[in-house]
Amino acid sequence: MSLDISALRAEFPLFGHYPDLVYLDNAATTQKPRAVLDAERAFYETSNANVHRGPHRLSIKATEAFEAARAKVARFINAERDDEIVFTRGTTEAINLVAYSWGAANLKPGDEVLVTALEHHANIVPWQLIARQTGATVRAIPVLADGSLDRTAFLSLLQPQVKLVAITHASNAIGTRLPVLELTAAAHVAGARVLIDGAQVIAHESVDVQALGADFYVFSGHKMYGPTGIGVLYAKAELLAGMPPWQGGGEMIDRVSFDGTTFAEPPARFEAGTPAIAQAVGLAAAIDWLNTHDRAGLRQHEAHLCALLDAGLRKIAGVKVIGNTADRAPLRSLVFEHAHPFDVAQFLDARDIAVRVGRHCAEPLLESLGVTGTLRVSFAAYNTVRDVERFLAALAETLDDLA
Amino acid sequence: MISPAFQHPFGSTIDRTALSARLDAANSWEAKNRLLVQLARELPGFSDTERNEEHRVSGCESTVWVMTYWHDGRLQVAADSDSRVIKGLLTLLLTAYHDQAPDAIRQFDLEGWLAKLGLTRFLSASRGNGLRAIARKIVAAASDK
Repeated sequence: MSLDISALRAEFPLFGHYPDLVYLDNAATTQKPRAVLDAERAFYETSNANVHRGPHRLSIKATEAFEAARAKVARFINAERDDEIVFTRGTTEAINLVAYSWGAANLKPGDEVLVTALEHHANIVPWQLIARQTGATVRAIPVLADGSLDRTAFLSLLQPQVKLVAITHASNAIGTRLPVLELTAAAHVAGARVLIDGAQVIAHESVDVQALGADFYVFSGHKMYGPTGIGVLYAKAELLAGMPPWQGGGEMIDRVSFDGTTFAEPPARFEAGTPAIAQAVGLAAAIDWLNTHDRAGLRQHEAHLCALLDAGLRKIAGVKVIGNTADRAPLRSLVFEHAHPFDVAQFLDARDIAVRVGRHCAEPLLESLGVTGTLRVSFAAYNTVRDVERFLAALAETLDDLA
Repeated sequence: MISPAFQHPFGSTIDRTALSARLDAANSWEAKNRLLVQLARELPGFSDTERNEEHRVSGCESTVWVMTYWHDGRLQVAADSDSRVIKGLLTLLLTAYHDQAPDAIRQFDLEGWLAKLGLTRFLSASRGNGLRAIARKIVAAASDK
């Protein structure tokens, strides 16, 4: 089956409003296909009511839609059971949930949480906060100069006091994909649990949490063509069953009294208050949308765009790509010999080219690689060869201007 | 000894009227960006030792450094950035605040001026060290007087 990228791009209404836009900030958030926008609107127009508590037909309809979204997510990442899916606001909240629930209950003085130096701040700071409360320690597995993980250091850091290994599936800042299967297996042999931050891979490849062996897997809806405000925590049922609540409120209780309150079973125990119902329905629509396309083909298309970008960048003097492992998410992080990334981004913006600059919420990583900030180009399925060509031409001219 | 970074024309020989005229003439984003880079060239940079933590205004996308002192009841301001576009924008702040009396600094409507110049987008750009945050720091210095 051959891919028709211009037909796929036409499914995104935003590009109808900005026909000249070259949107290369997909690692921050992707645009939304009409199917997702329609699903959210249709939910509000035909099914809107609060979930899990109305004795009326509309509430039952809303609850069914919400729980069907949960089931769809479970199939999407091949979870064994639907109740292993907890809806959150996004990746950040999912990690915080694990830190404040599982972490608070299981970490004690002397214990360690291992993270990698590639992590987004969202997979560092929650562990630091919970470590401060529990007396545990957070240690970072270093990276090598090419942006790959120092596996020798990992194995030597993987001591019996390590209770959790929290690792990214792919770096948001430089794209490095980690060998999560191998790292997870090693961590399990050492008796540690594993959390994988899938925010940067979920739009680009099929994820099978059972095959990975992940104890926790987290991602956001808005980086995979779905709505903002909805994300997913996958956790093995046996772990969720033993985890205490982290936020109190409605929906998460069994019985409430001033003598003592008992809590609902997972996943309700972790979903206090009215959830993001329409957004969950939108996320399910994003999954359906992805599944109607040839996902392996889309991945190849994105890899092709990266290859074109790499070849073009080699022809422009004064550009350096940060991180050059063979296996990367479809993004590239650039620095320039004679220009500041922010200035380059301003000049590109004047030509309708949207990129991200800065430290990408990964300060420890950039510091260990010796750069203060980069310009990041990140692809999604709707990007075209023409997008890459326009970016390369504009970059070459901008660097001339700023020389 | 007073740093050479204070020896810049903004707020003294280049006033708001002169700067406004140059910015008005730049009628596209591309032209505005070029002009900002040009303005940055007219602003002397800080020495390596002046680019220190004490002078740094925290930010993610670029770094800004600001120094101030008082002379004859007028605030002296110097500023620098590793980004040339931001440094160009700093010349606007200097034109507004450098070598001015505290009352003039407090009364100046920076946001109104930037809106007139079509540069409002930079008020909060570059999380944490947008022009608004830097201006607030300068105005706070003037309010202590």
